[in-house]
Amino acid sequence: MTLVQERPQRFEQPERRLTEFVPGPKYKGLLAYLTSTDHKQIGMNYMVTSFIMFLIAGVMAVLMRVQLAVPNNNFVSLDTFAQLFTMHGTIMLFLFLGPFAFGTANYLVPLHIGAPDMAFPRFNAFSYWLFLGGCIVLMSSFLTSSGAADWGWFAYAPLTETIHSPGPGFDLWIVGVALAAFSSMFTGINLIATVFCLRAPGMTMFRMPVFVWNQLITAFLVLLAFPVLTSALVLLWCDRHMGTHFYDPTHGGQPILWQNLFWFFGHPEVYILALPFFGMVTEVIAVFSRKPVFGYKGLVFATLSIGALSMGVWAHHMYTTGAVLLPFFAIMTLLISVPTGVKFFNWIGTMFRGSVRLETPMLFAIGFLVNFLVGGFTGVMLAEPPLDFQLHDTYFVVAHFHYVLFGGSVFAMFAGIYYWFPKFTGKKLDDILGKVSFVLMFIGFNLTFFPQHDLGLRGMQRRIAVYPANAGWSFLNMLSSIGAFILAFSIIPFLINVWVTLRNGKKVGPNPWDGMTLEWATSSPPPEHNFEFLPPIRSERPVWDLNHPEHPTLPHGRHAKELQRAHALAGVGVPDGFGGGGNGFGDGGGGNGFGNGGASEGNGFGDGGAGGAGGAPPGGSGQGGAGRGGA
Amino acid sequence: MHELFATVIRWGSPNGITKQDSNVYRLWDITYYIAIPLGAIVIGLIIWCAVRYRERPGYERIPRQFQYHIPLEILYTAVPLALVIFLFVYVYQAEDRVDNVAPNPALVVRVDAFQWGWRFTYPNGYEVLGSVATEPNINSTDLPVLTLPAGETVQINLFSDDVNHSFYVPAFLFKRDAIQGINNSFDVNILPSAAGRRYIGECTQFCGVYHPFMRFWLQVMPKDKFGTWLAHHHGSQIVTAKG
Repeated sequence: MTLVQERPQRFEQPERRLTEFVPGPKYKGLLAYLTSTDHKQIGMNYMVTSFIMFLIAGVMAVLMRVQLAVPNNNFVSLDTFAQLFTMHGTIMLFLFLGPFAFGTANYLVPLHIGAPDMAFPRFNAFSYWLFLGGCIVLMSSFLTSSGAADWGWFAYAPLTETIHSPGPGFDLWIVGVALAAFSSMFTGINLIATVFCLRAPGMTMFRMPVFVWNQLITAFLVLLAFPVLTSALVLLWCDRHMGTHFYDPTHGGQPILWQNLFWFFGHPEVYILALPFFGMVTEVIAVFSRKPVFGYKGLVFATLSIGALSMGVWAHHMYTTGAVLLPFFAIMTLLISVPTGVKFFNWIGTMFRGSVRLETPMLFAIGFLVNFLVGGFTGVMLAEPPLDFQLHDTYFVVAHFHYVLFGGSVFAMFAGIYYWFPKFTGKKLDDILGKVSFVLMFIGFNLTFFPQHDLGLRGMQRRIAVYPANAGWSFLNMLSSIGAFILAFSIIPFLINVWVTLRNGKKVGPNPWDGMTLEWATSSPPPEHNFEFLPPIRSERPVWDLNHPEHPTLPHGRHAKELQRAHALAGVGVPDGFGGGGNGFGDGGGGNGFGNGGASEGNGFGDGGAGGAGGAPPGGSGQGGAGRGGA
Repeated sequence: MHELFATVIRWGSPNGITKQDSNVYRLWDITYYIAIPLGAIVIGLIIWCAVRYRERPGYERIPRQFQYHIPLEILYTAVPLALVIFLFVYVYQAEDRVDNVAPNPALVVRVDAFQWGWRFTYPNGYEVLGSVATEPNINSTDLPVLTLPAGETVQINLFSDDVNHSFYVPAFLFKRDAIQGINNSFDVNILPSAAGRRYIGECTQFCGVYHPFMRFWLQVMPKDKFGTWLAHHHGSQIVTAKG
């Protein structure tokens, strides 16, 4: 039963450009920034704003490393140092990593699922303006007489009570963080609605790119975690201004309550800052290995279980308080390493026997894998309460979470920026400058943070502006500070790259990387409402199926056996080594199911794992393509 | 071999001076025995895949598009799960011993942390009080001294006068927070080999701008001398040190 029909030309432009009929005025530049509800413009706003916050907080980090380069240094005052580490942490977590991830979500999720926009465009714009408000409010606290908040990014009570921390800078911190938190919640709602309601025909849940899955799970975590944070902030505000005593121990309040509330938000927050970036590297690794994501469904379930487990591990930040049930939180935390390990094997399996293109995005993705692995292992160490008793609140912890959030998320972010830049702008960033930036960043990062593990083991505690000369910490601190300068310097080639590419870069067309997912089916940058046409969506990589109809994803297990049986019934030659569950396909690369000569037999996008993957014996051609009925 | 490996992987970590520390070290060793080979395998696989399967320019090819291998996926889920459960057994044991508080300690010392300093109170009312000077110097050695006997179980009761602090002696490989509203107690049993030595102690929970200066000395005394020392320092005598 060979179906014969004309295959539509690739990227054939219809006569009527559908996206010309988007209503409303079309502004450019500042007016677009101020008024647009287009998800791409808003996504860009998020990304650019949060990247600026990243640079600001990065400068703060460099200032701190200057102060710590030598013992008993006087570069900044004690109070300034406390403001610096507080605002560095607050900005990086609330105003950079999370919002940047939401920026990519805004830009890419509708494109990935074939939607014209987010579900609630104006609500989306509102989220961005709340976020920008949060940025301005937080930064303005530097202008107050008391300076910015200096209580650490997790603001432990009762240090936050007015008696210990008087002044408007602290209140601005509360308001700024609350604004950013509301922005995140609204984006979360918007994302969930978009993913559930606006998927294109054919885009089933298990055909969504891994990136979209990760953003969806992140959005649920946001909705579970952030309301707890905002409630805790409201209570804190009441304590400071309305005479309540929720966290004030002198009147019967419980300081530990803040820690429980904060970390109930704070641990899911870590995954909110990590999962979207896991999604980015997954896409990058698949495209740059020219292969489907290995164990796609397993990866999705792993991400779901990470999301679920992350709600039950908050007290591993509180092992040393003596107020939590250690074995429970220890086993829950250790268990998270299982799905995380699964992800690693998925990523490695995707590269395995692939065709790995070592271009800049892929280099950043590999850098991510290596760094995040280190962060994962130190995470397991910190999950063990007896080791945490030694390491908690030392530089070992600082090293650990920078390996996760910088070595992991930020490297993944750069992989994503280099990968999607052609989609955002139509131009490809320079590969040489990108590689220079990567090498500098990888060296700088590891030089900065690897010595900090040892500093922690030597007993150097966090958040100290000065340390004694005889503690044995001087050399490692100097090393770390040198690394910080290299790390800061590595951003410069990137900024030059962006500037030069935007000015002089050549247009590279809609799909320069041989991408697999729907965003590469539209022009770069995409028009308003995104798509002139959608390719048929029969797997999680429709654009690959369209561009490489002769190389569909190989069926496996039950599907392979069914196919084998169908071939036997139809009397069609079964390709070599096609049987034998799981992975028993011989070298299918040479044969293809779509008959080179015959062109366009029943398209290969059969349900259930590309059923039409005939696969003629190597060397033969033209007879495959026995697509399953209904394909 | 084991000893050599243990020394190498211990990096700059101080040698623990309490009986409880052997549990911590054993846990470190088990963690390393699992983590180092596993990490080497995974990093090796990443690098190997990236190098072995790299695409040379001009030789573009489309690899086989396999996606699932169920037995392999079950394997790489089950093995980490087994490792985690194995590890947890040791974690549970070690945690139980490190956190164990004996019902009849030889000595009970009350430690109060405050902004910014420490107060050590002995059962006979003797008090050592140390606070940060107005213009503190981080290199100052005039710190409050916590004197403890070696070879005996000492219970430390930890309190805070104001914000959160954390009592940390790096050589104990242990810390515990001082938080208002929570009564924290823990035991240390210092090895006799540490007697006569002095170790640094720190506050590790950020407690305001003078947080770095909240340091103290731990002076370990032989068991027999400690009795006489304490007898000579009785009554509510306050010794003030400046940090």
